[in-house]
Amino acid sequence: MSEVPAVRIERLSKSFDGVEVLRDIELTVNKGEVVSVLGSSGSGKSTMLRCINWLEEPDRGSIYIAGERIGVDASGRKMSNWALAALRARTGMVFQGFNLWPHFTVLQNIIESPVQVKGMRKDEARTLALALLEKVGMEHKADAYPYTLSGGQKQRVAIARALAMSPEVMLFDEPTSALDPERVGEVLQVMKTLSAEGYTMIVVTHEMEFARAVSDQVVFLEKGRIIEKADPVTFFTNPTTERVRRFLELA
Amino acid sequence: MSEWAIIWDARQAFLDGFLNTLLLFGLSISVAFATGCLFAFWLERRNPLTWLLRGFIDCMRMLPFLILAYLLYYGLPSLGLRLDAWTAGLIALIIYYAAYFGEVLRGARLVLPAGQVEAAKAYGFTGFRLYRRIVLPQLVIKTRPLMGNLLILALKDTAFLTIITVRELTAAANSVQATYFIPMEAFVVVIALYWLISICLELALKWAGRFGAKRGFEHV
Amino acid sequence: MNGQAWLLLLEGAWTTLWISGIAIAIGVVLGLGVALVRMARIPFVDQVLVLYVSLARATPLVTLVLFIFLTAPTLGMGLDRNTAAILALTLNTAAFNAEVWRAAFLSFSRDQREAALACGMTGPTFFRRIMLPQMFTSSLPGLVNEMSFIIKSSPAIAVIGIVDLTRVTNRITAVTYEPLPPILAAALFYMLIIGVLIRVQAIAERKANRLAM
Repeated sequence: MSEVPAVRIERLSKSFDGVEVLRDIELTVNKGEVVSVLGSSGSGKSTMLRCINWLEEPDRGSIYIAGERIGVDASGRKMSNWALAALRARTGMVFQGFNLWPHFTVLQNIIESPVQVKGMRKDEARTLALALLEKVGMEHKADAYPYTLSGGQKQRVAIARALAMSPEVMLFDEPTSALDPERVGEVLQVMKTLSAEGYTMIVVTHEMEFARAVSDQVVFLEKGRIIEKADPVTFFTNPTTERVRRFLELA
Repeated sequence: MSEWAIIWDARQAFLDGFLNTLLLFGLSISVAFATGCLFAFWLERRNPLTWLLRGFIDCMRMLPFLILAYLLYYGLPSLGLRLDAWTAGLIALIIYYAAYFGEVLRGARLVLPAGQVEAAKAYGFTGFRLYRRIVLPQLVIKTRPLMGNLLILALKDTAFLTIITVRELTAAANSVQATYFIPMEAFVVVIALYWLISICLELALKWAGRFGAKRGFEHV
Repeated sequence: MNGQAWLLLLEGAWTTLWISGIAIAIGVVLGLGVALVRMARIPFVDQVLVLYVSLARATPLVTLVLFIFLTAPTLGMGLDRNTAAILALTLNTAAFNAEVWRAAFLSFSRDQREAALACGMTGPTFFRRIMLPQMFTSSLPGLVNEMSFIIKSSPAIAVIGIVDLTRVTNRITAVTYEPLPPILAAALFYMLIIGVLIRVQAIAERKANRLAM
């Protein structure tokens, strides 16, 4: 692998109120890879994901986005807000609660970041946005306001919004956990399309079928540690740890 | 009724007072609103100035408006700064209502869903741009009713400036009734004019509410 | 600022307090009366009350004080300054209080009424024993808030020459030729009074929240 990995996590540790939530996490995600992160609630998987774009600040460890260290600048001091924002602009995050901006239309939601943060021209951004909306199947709702959309529709728009920044890596924080069961499929379908197109994706999820079908790597977190890391075939048919075996039997 | 004829003859005085009230009101709340937005933004930072700003806002909320006007008009000259009544009144209105606007916005900011700001941060927004594009529009939409109340209060506070000799609408009523001895008619006209402005404000606010309703902000 | 100046300030503060106090006391009761009458929906009276509330809320207190003081003689009533001031403050605050009471009435849950009626309780009894006591508690924060407003608007009475806490600073300055100290001292007094009211309001809000309405 001569190419710089999309994301590299080294010795990541974090505590909340004295409770250790992440312990010495090591993970490398190469370009074009899809990594699924599984684990029970409280295992630290969302925290790990949110450390990658520094929405949570680790206590120890280093995280690199396309080779550039995030959160800490070259001299070892805390990164300035501007540098942090610039690096975050190269990642895309999809939240469990969608977090669409309600005062903007669907289209305005998508063009907002490229125009304001990257300085893209408005007409260029609109063209890009419409293409992305088509990709997620929401082009007919371009001028609708988020409150008129269903959960699945909102999440698809949220994915398009993240894609609009052409990120190095897409971070999915339990993207379907807040959806009605009928809506989960339409979002997973979009995510499958993205993986086929070669996007680098780190997905924290409970959707086993999705993880099995689409991932290149499956990672299992338990009490803040990665206890299993394998390709999907091995992970789902012949996992090495007892804990994962119990988890899969229960799943 | 000859009293009303006198009123009609004196209409220029009423008009001057009316326009002056409108000017003081319109100018002061525009600047106060913009300043209030800045205050709310600064209150989010954590630096020593924040603490000062917090204290200043709390003071303004515990003081009568007239005391501030007194401070600027009667008090400043002893520090070497002599303002005319109109300017002192304008600045007092601006300072006082900037604090109130800032406080209303701050209250709304506390209950803004955290996810809104997280999503913006995740896409590279930071600082004032994040505040201006993502946070502020939502705060203003949500606080429209409270802002409306502040506007009505500001309008009524312009009348206090009579006491520091500004020639606004109430002063006009006072001078007309003192000259022609028709207090009832003079004040009826003036009260009707305040009522008129107040109704226009409420209509404007209702119309502004459509902006929020269209975007699904309920109770707006 | 010497002792005499402080004395004058205290007198001014007392003037502000007793005039505002009477207006507050009458205004709370009057506001309740207006709200109750409005609930009864008597055809002509309701319109008049709506007009009164609308006008009173839109009219600046300064204007109202002047209006009452100057027009009373023409109607045959000779009001002295203090009475005119109390009348104006009362009319003003009663209108705002009426809205506070009305909001409390309108937001009262229907469930409690239905439960009472299902037990065989009559309307008036329900109102007297169940609704009204809770209305007092839930209106309290709004009413105390309005009291703060009255204190903050009370300087309006200076326009008809009453020497209240604000106007008294002119008096002091006329003697000492130093305007800043008395104004700052008056500011402190106001902040003290309103500070107390804010405390009271916080307590009232805690009590109202315990009703969980």
